[in-house]
Amino acid sequence: MNQISTVLRIILIIGSLGFFIFIMNMVRTKKLELKYALTWILTSLSFVLLSIFPEILYFIAAVMHIELPVNALYLCVIFLLLMIVFTLTVAVSRQALRIKTLVQEIGLLKETLERMKK
Amino acid sequence: MKTLVIIPAYQEAKNLPRLFEELKEVPRDVDIVVINDCSTDNTEEVCRQYGVPVVSLPVNLGIGGAVQTGYKYALEHGYDIAVQMDGDGQHDPKFLKLVLSRIHEGYHMCVGSRFIENKGYQSSLSRRAGIKFFSWLIKLLTGQYISDPTSGFRACSRELIKLFANSYPKDYPEPETIVTALRNRYRIAEVPVIMRPRQSGESSITRNLAAYYMIKVTLAVIMAAIARRNGDGDK
Repeated sequence: MNQISTVLRIILIIGSLGFFIFIMNMVRTKKLELKYALTWILTSLSFVLLSIFPEILYFIAAVMHIELPVNALYLCVIFLLLMIVFTLTVAVSRQALRIKTLVQEIGLLKETLERMKK
Repeated sequence: MKTLVIIPAYQEAKNLPRLFEELKEVPRDVDIVVINDCSTDNTEEVCRQYGVPVVSLPVNLGIGGAVQTGYKYALEHGYDIAVQMDGDGQHDPKFLKLVLSRIHEGYHMCVGSRFIENKGYQSSLSRRAGIKFFSWLIKLLTGQYISDPTSGFRACSRELIKLFANSYPKDYPEPETIVTALRNRYRIAEVPVIMRPRQSGESSITRNLAAYYMIKVTLAVIMAAIARRNGDGDK
């Protein structure tokens, strides 16, 4: 099995750590809500872990009978992305329902207000 | 019984005056509310001219959101019966009395159907085929045959006003709400009505959207049929 070069490894560790710090900072400065950032934090943490211990990938590949470790990496990434997209869809659905209720409430309130003015 | 006519309206300034005039002729004492779904024409001004209460939504919600606003209005103001009528002139207030009569008899919902006597505007062949399919699907899922499940001319009793004010589909709500009502063991009746082709403007279901409509509504109807019942035994 090919081992990744030390240089690439260092670049990956720095990159994934930078990504993790960036996301934590977004949460800290309240630009990201923690609730929706959770999946992102989980994702960036796994990237950090995978870049420090690429053996995890070899292990996953061996356990699942995946021939190339890189395919195990794709599997992990796709899984994490699907999770993020799904949580976003849930969030969007909930927002849509809340916005609808608010719009209806505003419409009804405006009508009541106008009747009271008369 | 306090009765409210809910008219969802989007760009219907041209069609509404005729409907208001016709509604004046109805002998029964009914109140009207127009839900103006963020129209850009002067739908709101037309309602004001005729002294009809109008709820203007600040954002366009689509037919489902507009009709639900009407049910919320009915619930808030303590109406016993709510009747939905389209703002495009398809529904003739002449039949209001007939549609309401079934609610007075104890049914929870009464649908005005084009396909009992097959008189008046019957819609295009492909649309009729689609409607037939939903009739068949609803019969399969609920056991009751509804000849015109897409009809937006319908009356609801207080129980269903409450249910619909609470939750109502976003778009293309008609077949789905029939299944929801039947699923919750409410009784639905149908009466023959004669519908007219819409006076002006366009239908919300264009040719390009037909496939999407069929798939979305089929799924919605199946989901409604297996949904959790709300407020069991509350009839």
